[in-house]
Amino acid sequence: MHPLRFLVALALAAAGASAHAAGDAAAGKNKVYQCQGCHGIVDWKTAFPEVYRVPKLGGQKAEYIVAALKAYKKGERDFATMRAITADLTDQDMADIGAYYATHGTTTTTAEKKK
Amino acid sequence: MTTTRLAACLLVAFAPAAFAASGDASVGKKKSTPCAACHGAEGVSPSPEFPNLAGQYADYLETAMRHYKNGKRKNPIMAEQVKGLSEKDIVDLAAYFAGQRGLRTWY
Repeated sequence: MHPLRFLVALALAAAGASAHAAGDAAAGKNKVYQCQGCHGIVDWKTAFPEVYRVPKLGGQKAEYIVAALKAYKKGERDFATMRAITADLTDQDMADIGAYYATHGTTTTTAEKKK
Repeated sequence: MTTTRLAACLLVAFAPAAFAASGDASVGKKKSTPCAACHGAEGVSPSPEFPNLAGQYADYLETAMRHYKNGKRKNPIMAEQVKGLSEKDIVDLAAYFAGQRGLRTWY
């Protein structure tokens, strides 16, 4: 491959990667107000159709949160409340929300967990 | 309503919760080997696309596994993984991951 073509390919690959990882945790802080009503309360439970505690999000992987939000928006994951909330979220909102929760709170290593 | 009938109703109402809470974390640990490939040895995922499980609520994890199993939640990888799990396997695995430190509720 010609060096120039290689560089172009690299640049395109990098651009693609950054388009996925462009979440802004600070911006996310202002976008989680709808989430916190359930996910921000310890032991908060769903009421219908099944009863279980809503998942903890603090320290979750940003990319996973984005994938979950997109799946709810597209109807691939089915929960009425999440479907309604995600209907109005843009891709940027989702990335920001993912970044916010990912950076607010996990113990990511064994060493940290033992503290 | 007589006291006996009330007691019976209460028992029925709380039986599922009691059953769901019966997972054995140490047994779950032994069953968790296949999970570690994606979710990490201690429930902390090495990859951004796979969720951390450490510290997640047991009842949420159980619900997720049941939904993967019955097709309510669709994911080809997870559908394959949970296919052979019994209800006991599900509560044991959930108890194991819920007992780890990791995820938390952020205020």
